[in-house]
Amino acid sequence: MATERTMTTTWHGTLLEGAGTIHEAPSGAFGPLDVSWPSRAEAPDGRTSPEELIAAAHSACFSMALSAGLARGGTPAERLDTTATVTFVPGEGITKVALSVRGSVPGLDEEAFVAAAEGAKTGCPVSKALAGVPEITLDAALA
Amino acid sequence: MPRVVREAAVSWEGNVARGAGGISAASSAAFEGLGFTAATRLGVPEGKTSPEELLAAAHGGCFTMSLANELTKAGTPPERLDVRCVVTLDEVAGKGHHIVHSAIEAHGTVPGCDDAGFAQAAEAADATCPFSALLRASATVTVSATLS
Repeated sequence: MATERTMTTTWHGTLLEGAGTIHEAPSGAFGPLDVSWPSRAEAPDGRTSPEELIAAAHSACFSMALSAGLARGGTPAERLDTTATVTFVPGEGITKVALSVRGSVPGLDEEAFVAAAEGAKTGCPVSKALAGVPEITLDAALA
Repeated sequence: MPRVVREAAVSWEGNVARGAGGISAASSAAFEGLGFTAATRLGVPEGKTSPEELLAAAHGGCFTMSLANELTKAGTPPERLDVRCVVTLDEVAGKGHHIVHSAIEAHGTVPGCDDAGFAQAAEAADATCPFSALLRASATVTVSATLS
């Protein structure tokens, strides 16, 4: 069954001098969030950006996929801590996503954890949607 | 051009069926500890966000900025743009869950711009928005644009 998620953004003015708002999420989980070009391309100044939201989506999706893979392998995770770092070059696009994960997984050795993490990196839906990013790296280790 | 780096952090506890996680904006601190679970990702949100909701925010935000830029380049900067983005996750036979579609619906108040000019700017925005190009490799991206 298909799952849909909707978000709305309002913008006033030009790209460089204007500003926008990402409305409150229909789920109620976050927002409204302010966005602007200077805070996207320079210092964030407390404002999120499309790249930070992509990092949030990817780290969440990867963590779920890894937790599923570990459970399937008979060694469910106790805890996973993941960061995703997205690099954006204006005029060029999103050039890199770096995933880093530390896991507490009873009964699992490092090599098997790294293999499970590689599987999640390849298989999670957001990874598949970002397959066109030139470089996606993974640093996985047990905590 | 400068490189822009943005980071988010997630903690997850437990297995996928019963576990739960929290998502934080590590670069900006604009949001922190947003809860998410597998059940609320695929079913009713129940107050929790999901990777797809965050992608809808990212794609909508990215497209909106590109559209403001294209309209300004055309000599008709926007007074106001309202952009809705719907991201669809579906199960694809033999391939598991896939993000299959992102639908953008743009409404604008743009002094001096007619319907054709607005549609043209929306098309250009779709071509220059870095996230549209990425998504298009594995999903369909549709754009509709109407002046308010």
